Amino acid sequence: MDYTNQMQIIYDDGMLGLAGPRFHYIFGYERAGLESLVVDGKEWLYRVPQPTFWRATTDNDRGNQFNIKSAQWLAADYVAPCVDIDLTVDNHHYDQLPIAPVTNQFSNQTLAEQVEIKYTYQTVTIPQTTVTVTYHVVADGTITVRAHYQGKANLPELPVFGLRLIMPTPATGYTYQGLSGETYPDRMAGATKGQFEVAGMPVTPYLVPQECGMHMATDWVTVTRATTLNNADPDLSPLSLKFSALDKPFAFSCLPYTSSELENATHQEKLPPIHRTVLTIAGAVRGVGGIDSWGADVEPQYHLDAGQDHEVSFQITL
Amino acid sequence: MEASLKWLDDPTVFRVNQLPAHSDHQFFKNQEELEAGQSSYVQSLNGTWDFTFAKNPQVRPVNFWEVDADRSDFTTIEVPSEIELQNFAQINYINTLNPWSGKVYRRPAYSLGDDYEAAGSFSEGIDNTVGAYVRKFDLPIDWQGLDVHVMFEGVERAMYVWLNGHFIGYAEDSFTPSEFDLTPYLQNKNNVLAVEVFKHSTASWLEDQDMFRFSGIFRDVSLLALPASHVVDLKVDAPYDPANQQGQLGLALQLTNDADQVQVTLADPDGEPILETSLTANDQWQLPLHDLGMVQAWDNQQPVLYQLTLTVIKAGEVQEVIPQVVGFRQVMINDQAVLMLNGHRLVINGVNRHEWNCHRGRAIMYEDMLADLQTFHENNINAVRTCHYPDQLAWYDLCDRHGIYMMAENNLESHGTWQKMGAIEPSDNVPGSLPQWHDVVIDRARSNYELLKNHPAILFWSLGNESYAGDNIADMNAFYKEHDPSRLVHYEGVCHTPEYRDRISDFESWMYLPPTKVAEYLANNPDKPFIECEYMHSMGNSVGGLGSYNDLIDQYPQYCGGFIWDFIDQAIEVTDPVTGQKSMRYGGDFDDRHADYEFAGDGIMFANRQPKPAMQEVKYYYGLH
Repeated sequence: MDYTNQMQIIYDDGMLGLAGPRFHYIFGYERAGLESLVVDGKEWLYRVPQPTFWRATTDNDRGNQFNIKSAQWLAADYVAPCVDIDLTVDNHHYDQLPIAPVTNQFSNQTLAEQVEIKYTYQTVTIPQTTVTVTYHVVADGTITVRAHYQGKANLPELPVFGLRLIMPTPATGYTYQGLSGETYPDRMAGATKGQFEVAGMPVTPYLVPQECGMHMATDWVTVTRATTLNNADPDLSPLSLKFSALDKPFAFSCLPYTSSELENATHQEKLPPIHRTVLTIAGAVRGVGGIDSWGADVEPQYHLDAGQDHEVSFQITL
Repeated sequence: MEASLKWLDDPTVFRVNQLPAHSDHQFFKNQEELEAGQSSYVQSLNGTWDFTFAKNPQVRPVNFWEVDADRSDFTTIEVPSEIELQNFAQINYINTLNPWSGKVYRRPAYSLGDDYEAAGSFSEGIDNTVGAYVRKFDLPIDWQGLDVHVMFEGVERAMYVWLNGHFIGYAEDSFTPSEFDLTPYLQNKNNVLAVEVFKHSTASWLEDQDMFRFSGIFRDVSLLALPASHVVDLKVDAPYDPANQQGQLGLALQLTNDADQVQVTLADPDGEPILETSLTANDQWQLPLHDLGMVQAWDNQQPVLYQLTLTVIKAGEVQEVIPQVVGFRQVMINDQAVLMLNGHRLVINGVNRHEWNCHRGRAIMYEDMLADLQTFHENNINAVRTCHYPDQLAWYDLCDRHGIYMMAENNLESHGTWQKMGAIEPSDNVPGSLPQWHDVVIDRARSNYELLKNHPAILFWSLGNESYAGDNIADMNAFYKEHDPSRLVHYEGVCHTPEYRDRISDFESWMYLPPTKVAEYLANNPDKPFIECEYMHSMGNSVGGLGSYNDLIDQYPQYCGGFIWDFIDQAIEVTDPVTGQKSMRYGGDFDDRHADYEFAGDGIMFANRQPKPAMQEVKYYYGLH
């Protein structure tokens, strides 16, 4: 079978499989997202990627009560119900997701040049709004991901907007091209531009664990792991996956914890043992502020207006 | 004289038999000792002392200071150290409220009227812990016959001293040296030095700093032998005229006993003498301002120091040799209200620095100071405010040598007496304008000045921190103006009492004022330069928006820059018993209540002296001016 221009497409009744010589992806219908991203036989996702809205409260956030004013986004970050899945295979747009009996017509030799699947998530805010996450896959396995936040008036300011990918095992490190150190929109002037290699997933040891580890203005990041959860896979050679910015640079953090886990801990040693990699790729990040820690807000230009649209896009390449 | 516990309650008693503050110069027996850096006139009493701890004055061991007292139940403690960090007493971090808040009712003596004496407030305080220290020592053989002093460089917070069963003296002011004359009761051998340290006294109202609340002998203790003729105080004047790069030198000495003469040598940075003269009793040990011609100025980029050497000679013999660095610089505010150093606008890229070590509290090590200076240099930090008390003496020497501009702050903060729940409520404020609290704060100003007056690094005196303002702080300002016209005076707390604005502070200072508000002041014909004595509160993940402050430097010549709050997190590293991991503990982690939790974690350094990620931002902006 010639996979040069086409990939295998495996229609099923709860998901859609896509496969090529080096990759196998599963887009869930029940799981409502990309539930499996296998490259060279290794799984890269633990759960489906979710839109992310929350950052673990910083001391300044607490001081100016941003965490209270924007508390709705904590819940929205925690749960994001999927309300629509939209599938286009090559030029065919499915008005409804193809499940039996529609799927009875296919075979193990069904091929496609490109597939686009769009998940629409609802925010559990008042009022509600939506986020679409669109995956566009081409035959060589390249995935183009676009997450789009639909602006809505009367919602509190956003802490962050992006996509959170949780990988099954801890990263041994990551390499990126962008800015040195931990940066935020209002704290990135002192950074140098370049390519940086980070060992492990350092959590900045703030006295109380909080939002940390953001890297603004990133062109790409490659995450490297050495282990999998696959009991039948004893291979410990490094595996890497690259995430590249598309239209404009993105911000990312690569940490062993979700924002909720950071939020819950009062001390560094109260953070859970490290089991996963949490890669957050963000299109919009609120500033951290710094005038004082008991009320002063972040400067106006570093706020994220929830009434405006926000977007992040990137490519996953093998 | 008998020691009285009532002194703890009385703000008018703050030093008894304590010797007057004087310059911090070192003195050596001869030139050889000076070159070796080891003075045989100094003997350290650091080390292991006998110790016992009492929860309050009522259960303390009375008369433990008697030579033959039964001290069989004493244990030991290292000096210097914090009593709390040796686990004798509970660790507590609290910010503006007092550590007794919610436990013991107190109002400052006389704050509610002249008849409000608050008798027993501290002497009977159930929370007033007591450390009883005993150290035995023999005199070095060559000290016999010399006057001998004992110097405690830092003791929190009120101390009584006995030698061989005789009361020696009493001192407060935790952060300046307390020196006493031991001579009358001294023996050649088996001297018993006893010190009783109370955690609280009326000084506690004046030392309500935002920090872990410790007690104990937390800085060096030394015996000093005085030669027959000794320079007890040295005042150096080193004015610099930037217009023609001319320097002058003036000296004023105080001697314990007249000498034949004091030889004076001033060497330039290459070691070449540029002035050689001598002083005698005839000129009252003073050198009037002497023209030196062109000199190299001292500043941050080139901290050029000249070396002054005084040799005291009596009966034809060298009594002591005194080294003193001299820096020539001129700090002033020009008629445009611009802060100037050596004829150029001065921009402060500063930090506030508590003395902190995550294992030793405020009993920091010399290595900590060196590490901090290294961090300063690597990150373009050119200035430090000694918040909110005088630091260890070595720090001032290091700042002289490394060209770090200092705002030398008095040991004063009475935050809890005027700000409640964030609002200004000074009904029980001290020192205010209360006559009973006047002398004690003037004494703190005097100690700070007399001790540190010869350090070129000090450009500004700061009257204290967050103590509101009244006549007493105005008089502190006047003290500095009278004694030291060569430096500028800063005090921030006057921003709440504009009626004192003409009498207090050469600077307009308002901590944490946002850039937009600072610009409002600066855009309106400012009559005082504006300095942010604290800004950029770098608690946790912070230090965003430093660029807006930087813009002010470019826009307004009357903007001086400021001091980031602050340099290093105050947290205590322990081993977590559950995980076995090292853990940084903060207020409330020791069952201490009321506590202000993590609010002391505001450094651009973590408590273990690792830089926070924001440091690269500080380095960048501080490198622009």
